[in-house]
Amino acid sequence: MRPGLVATLALLLPCAATCAANPMSVSQELDTEYGYTGGVSTRGGGVNVGSVDEQSADVKYVVSPQLTKDLLLRVGIEWQRFTFGVPDHGPVPGVLQQASLVLGFDYQIADEWLLRVEAEPGIYSDFRDITWRDVDMPMVIGAAYLASPDLQWIFGLRIDARTQYPVLPAVGIRWKFSEAWTLDLMAPKPRLEYDVNERLQLYTGAEFQLGTFAVGQNFGTPRGQPKLNDVIVDYLEIRVGSGCSWKITPNIAIEAEAGLMPYRGFDFFDPNIVFRSHNSPYGQIACHARF
Amino acid sequence: MPMRRSAAFYTVGLCYALSLAALAADSGPVESLKSFSDFQQVDLNRLLNGDVLSERGSLMDFPNGISAQTCFVVPVSAEETAKRLQLWDPSTHGELKVFAFHTLHAPAELTDFQQLDFKTTQRPVRWLLDKIVASTPAKSDLNLTHAEARELASCVQKRADPQKVSACVTTLLLGRALAFQRQGLDGAQPYETAGESISPAVQLRTMLREQLVIAHEFLPILKKIGLLGNETVPSLTPFYYWTLFDADYHGTISLGAVYQLVVDDHFQLVDMEYYVSGNYYTSATLFEVWPIQVGGKPGALVWRGDFFAAPMLAFTKGTERIAYGALMLQDIKKEIRCFQDEAKTGR
Repeated sequence: MRPGLVATLALLLPCAATCAANPMSVSQELDTEYGYTGGVSTRGGGVNVGSVDEQSADVKYVVSPQLTKDLLLRVGIEWQRFTFGVPDHGPVPGVLQQASLVLGFDYQIADEWLLRVEAEPGIYSDFRDITWRDVDMPMVIGAAYLASPDLQWIFGLRIDARTQYPVLPAVGIRWKFSEAWTLDLMAPKPRLEYDVNERLQLYTGAEFQLGTFAVGQNFGTPRGQPKLNDVIVDYLEIRVGSGCSWKITPNIAIEAEAGLMPYRGFDFFDPNIVFRSHNSPYGQIACHARF
Repeated sequence: MPMRRSAAFYTVGLCYALSLAALAADSGPVESLKSFSDFQQVDLNRLLNGDVLSERGSLMDFPNGISAQTCFVVPVSAEETAKRLQLWDPSTHGELKVFAFHTLHAPAELTDFQQLDFKTTQRPVRWLLDKIVASTPAKSDLNLTHAEARELASCVQKRADPQKVSACVTTLLLGRALAFQRQGLDGAQPYETAGESISPAVQLRTMLREQLVIAHEFLPILKKIGLLGNETVPSLTPFYYWTLFDADYHGTISLGAVYQLVVDDHFQLVDMEYYVSGNYYTSATLFEVWPIQVGGKPGALVWRGDFFAAPMLAFTKGTERIAYGALMLQDIKKEIRCFQDEAKTGR
């Protein structure tokens, strides 16, 4: 050549013959992340909770068998945990945790359009007393428009029936505007990236950590906040920082970053009580592998 | 109203009749095309309107390979189309980011490369210059044999003098071109500087052997050029070229040969890169060109298959690979449209 160069059974059944005819390509994704955020004053509902620090960890593993030329199944697991250093009887949860399956698919719907539908059915809870109220299934529907090798648009919806805002839309763009610079404005980690070389990348940007969790039936009473018994909390944390990504092999990259957490909120939206923290330093490491 | 209705009826009827006539006249090429390609539905009327049909290729076991198929119509005769495909110079189309495209004599001469110029502000070319200067006998980001890396490093001597670098690279390219002209793919030495021996010939053959139906269709020409079969030295005289272009912001030089063979009433062509300076290993583009009628004039129905081998493809899986294939098709379609425009305007 010269130069220039997600899931329902109904969707899958028609391709059974093709699946049998084609070799099965299976790809795997493993993403792990750990972060620490320093202690910071946390207040809300007329209460000063005191200084709360945080550890966060996330492990996500997805297997993607390619069923047809245009369709990839996504099956996996995710575990995410936020651990908060809360003073005794502080009215914010000490642990918020997700343990879920990942079920979805990627599908090429047109020459320039890719679709991802991904649901994560699982337990989203403080893990004090697990009941059916702790079970949830947030879902992401995203479409990517491949305008060119250097420009892609992303249109997404996050759907979670339990949250205060059950449908959250998002638009993103990935624009490689020079050999070394890429503006990657895609949720949940919008970044400006600079490729030092083929292995090392520097970046600055933000990260949105969010989730919706059920707290225990007696969460509020011992904390002097009976209104917080058996309710749903929307958690949102914003991190702004800089870091580097190093490809130790072509398919494994490790990241280290540090910065400021300008906002963290525990939004108990039904009793309408929000506990907020502002401006605390954080550090984070991550490893991403693709096989 | 009745007048308009009947006029509309006649117009639709005429178009329908013309379409049927065109389809009937050209069912041969279309059926031939369907018999080996991924295109099981071919709407010739869409193709006649300038559309380019495209399909990402089937999955490959070969980890470095990716393929794509396209199909289009050119409003000049099949013979003329084949000739244009063989000799096409993409450098006149700025959007294709080809900085230079030149013919090579057979045997190739030093003067064939006199347009190779690193004295430029083009960033991709500067990138290539930097990679050449940084090459050592032990390590290089370029596709070289150990001997080539040694000779290049000794010639350049870490000096980023564009003229000197041009002369050194010319020597390397000339050696590669002459070896290919003498021995065909057997003369295409493997790349060794990445730590393993990568033969462009093996890469091409492996990709083609995975596409058995296509390989069978193109067996006449593939055997004659030594890509498949027992012949090693090509028995067809190709059009030799060298080119310098931007591949994802990286300047890349390639040496290629385009072969043409008349098979019954149609043409087969293979455009093969037997040396690529870096970023990827090799590629081959296969064309089959059939004569058809376009608006009462001779036209050509073209099937194109692209086979591309690159190291990073081994690590590009799942959705990323689908996206890669889709973006590769965009580039191919861009190139085809430039080619169609040239044919339309008679340039």
